[in-house]
Amino acid sequence: MNFVIVLVALLGSVWLLAVVEGWTTTGRLRPAAPLLSGLAHLGRESIVPRTPDRVFFETAPVLLLIVAVLGAAVLPLAPTLVIADLATGALFINAALAYVLVALIMAGWGPNGAYAMIGGWRFLGQLIAYAMLIVMPITAVAMRAESLVTTVIVGSQDGLWNIVYQPLGFVLFFIAAMALAFRAPFDLPTAPGELGGGVDAEYTGVRLGVLRLARLTLVITLASATTVFYLGGWHGPLLPPWAWSLIKTLAVAVSMLLAGRYLPRIREADLMRWCWTLGIPLALLNIIVVGLLVLVVP
Amino acid sequence: MTSDPTMTITGARQRQERFTVLQKWVSRALAGNLSCLIVPGPEVALSHGLDVTAAGMRITATPRDASVLLIIGELSEKMNEAVAVLYAQMPRPRAIVNLGGQTPSTLPDADFSAGVSQAGLIDAVDWLKRALAKGAFSDSPEDFDAPVLHARIEYVCPMHPEVVQNEPGSCPKCGMDLVAREAGEPAPEHDHGHDHREHRHHEHEHQHHDHAQQHEHHEHEHHHGHCHDHHDSHEHDHEQHEGHQHSHENHHDHGHKHQHGESDGDAEEKGSGHDHSGHHHSGHGHDSHEHGGHDHVGHGHSGHDHSGHDHGGHDHGGHDHGGHDHGASGFMSMIEVTKDLPRSADGLAMDWMEVPFGPVFPGLPGGLKLTLTLDGDGVTEGQATSLVGMINESEEGKEIGAETFIERLASAMPLASVSYRLLACLAIERAAGLENDSATDQARAVALECERIASHLGWLAQTGRQLGFAWLTDRAATLQLEIRRASGKRLLELTPALHALAARLGRTPLLKSRLKGIGILPSGTGGLSGPVARAADDAGDAWARLWQRLDEIITSLDYIKATGEPGLPVLRNIGRGSGTGEATVETPRGEAQLSLILEHGQVKSYRLDTACSHHIGLVAKLVEGRELGDALVAVGSLDLSPWEVIS
Repeated sequence: MNFVIVLVALLGSVWLLAVVEGWTTTGRLRPAAPLLSGLAHLGRESIVPRTPDRVFFETAPVLLLIVAVLGAAVLPLAPTLVIADLATGALFINAALAYVLVALIMAGWGPNGAYAMIGGWRFLGQLIAYAMLIVMPITAVAMRAESLVTTVIVGSQDGLWNIVYQPLGFVLFFIAAMALAFRAPFDLPTAPGELGGGVDAEYTGVRLGVLRLARLTLVITLASATTVFYLGGWHGPLLPPWAWSLIKTLAVAVSMLLAGRYLPRIREADLMRWCWTLGIPLALLNIIVVGLLVLVVP
Repeated sequence: MTSDPTMTITGARQRQERFTVLQKWVSRALAGNLSCLIVPGPEVALSHGLDVTAAGMRITATPRDASVLLIIGELSEKMNEAVAVLYAQMPRPRAIVNLGGQTPSTLPDADFSAGVSQAGLIDAVDWLKRALAKGAFSDSPEDFDAPVLHARIEYVCPMHPEVVQNEPGSCPKCGMDLVAREAGEPAPEHDHGHDHREHRHHEHEHQHHDHAQQHEHHEHEHHHGHCHDHHDSHEHDHEQHEGHQHSHENHHDHGHKHQHGESDGDAEEKGSGHDHSGHHHSGHGHDSHEHGGHDHVGHGHSGHDHSGHDHGGHDHGGHDHGGHDHGASGFMSMIEVTKDLPRSADGLAMDWMEVPFGPVFPGLPGGLKLTLTLDGDGVTEGQATSLVGMINESEEGKEIGAETFIERLASAMPLASVSYRLLACLAIERAAGLENDSATDQARAVALECERIASHLGWLAQTGRQLGFAWLTDRAATLQLEIRRASGKRLLELTPALHALAARLGRTPLLKSRLKGIGILPSGTGGLSGPVARAADDAGDAWARLWQRLDEIITSLDYIKATGEPGLPVLRNIGRGSGTGEATVETPRGEAQLSLILEHGQVKSYRLDTACSHHIGLVAKLVEGRELGDALVAVGSLDLSPWEVIS
């Protein structure tokens, strides 16, 4: 039952996000647009490029979608509303999201095209930049909760959300999550102006539809993770818990979407340099500060 | 205006019986989701005052994502070929809309044609919506095929390059089996020479080794050729690369004939074409794509079609034949595979591949083709060419009326038509011996400054597209359209908006780090003019060029404020004057110079020199050794207008 509810919530959020995305790009609020766009993808030819690596080409969009859903499986909407309340939830989400890289490299390699391939490899470089900034802030979150269970992590934020308790961790995680979702300004693997779509470049029709759905789902999953780890999950007055989870998730997702609109794409070298020379020391500092707080503050 | 009574678009998709009900809905969805690829590019649409988004179409970055091919204006011969390749890449159902020009000969007739105007565009969208709702699917969709999608294969002896014949066989001199290659492609030997020169790390033995290997592989290929070659043994797809990688997919164009309806009626790109990919001969084989893993076997030979991973040009390139050549048993060792490859700037040995960017590429102005040799994400060398540039024709005895000449020059430069109109007027009037008239000069100067503002805004929009900075693209494009439509007074009302834009860009995070230090020209680079030259006094990088252009926008505004209303340059009465005239105009991109000979009111010969013709030569220096993203930013910061590249 939980499975169905979470899945519906996920789809609903993706739909809302797509509506907002359409609104920011075209200036018109059209609730039916995402559905129509999905139907239109069904109607278009789904071309297989010449001499592809068929397995990679076909698997990549589906894998990306599965990864995003798997990640969402351990994120609670309400105290009991979670598909799998794993003892290692915070670790599991890392493990699931590691496959985003695999999916993108497959999508890059599969179609046998230069733009796609460069896009795929670029994401590998990007991983080296953001990966530590996903793991290290989560470490600090788990330290405060003294647990890797996601529901316990939300519980630990009762009264004081992590965004206040460890703002540094929030900022780092938020940025790294955007890089992981390869949204602008971190859209190096797709980079329309540089790679003509990159890993997206050779997909058409249904496959492109799945890929786009997967990308939006990934954004929702990461926004939901941000909510669970930093924004107090379901905590909030008046409204039922699930509603707070959804509202916060959507707010984070929309802010990820909007940030990209007002920023130019980051330089690959800058991303790497800043993440390593600035991000990792800050993440360590965050861990130390949180550690001290956990020890000192009763 | 064409209107098809049956409302079936030429690029309709094969109807599938099973889904008749669904197709009705899908058709409606398609009609509501028009996405267009603009040829030559969105900047040309803007400079014509077309607002494609407002008309109801989404502008896409790639042909794969487009359902409408929107062609604006007349295209050159080379562009026609590129457009055919792009069209072939678009998934069906697809339509062609043509505004203000002839449909390229390489394409089927346009589904809708109109003049270059917003009204024409809106009509086109209306028509497309109706046509797609009714005729997106057809029982008998038309094939699309164009000569550019094919190449002739010829057979050459690996040891005796002078032995070339149209059929496979053996060399009369040494008896070796001949090797297939695309006609018109440089011989492999030449390439090796080139490689050798460029990358000292190559050892001679290695090359020999490679030759031997190629030979073997080709033998293998021949067999394939004979087996599968039931269609057209000498006609193969020809990797064209314009704009996109695997350009050409006859595949779906022969599509329905060969569709073996694998499950969902996918269009399969027939495996032909990839030249070196060993299996070109299996072009119509049913499982050509299945050969995936083995395909690359023969790639070594094929000089310059480095599509995809096949990096032909730098034949030794490895991941593909790595598996075959080296680690025959099991895992391929990257050390083994890359040990003989040239080292790039960062010390890593990688495959080199030559990748085309353009002539229709979201990050570059339409008509500009940038060919970069990439090793990984780094550019080792690059070169830009214009596919739409004007040609200085001064043939004897070919006279053009003065008015016609002006129109022709103005329409040949869609990104700066006012400047070139002015240039032609000035040169002709001087040739005819007319004195300057200060009132006219002033109005013309204001018109020129208006165009400068619009042009710089167009560049900002283009930069926004390149950098994925959607806000900048939208904002600059909106302002550009407003300025084009505005009179002098309304123009001044836009002043705060333009100041705000500049201020906003100054505050935008990441922008400075993206542009600073990129695209610096070696000191003492000659032949610069326009904003590029003026920014060279400053830091001379992309960031300085951005601010130079923003400053010029403000300066031009001040000038307009102080001077008055713009007046489009119109030729004054020159009678049947004769003489020689020369004029120089500071166009938005730099100085343009025109000298011409006028005889009895007819332009007898002319010579045009523009800033872009010189600037395009700087590209090679700017991109070398840069990361791909930086290289593109550097090229973009020059604000090249391929139209203004004179050959």
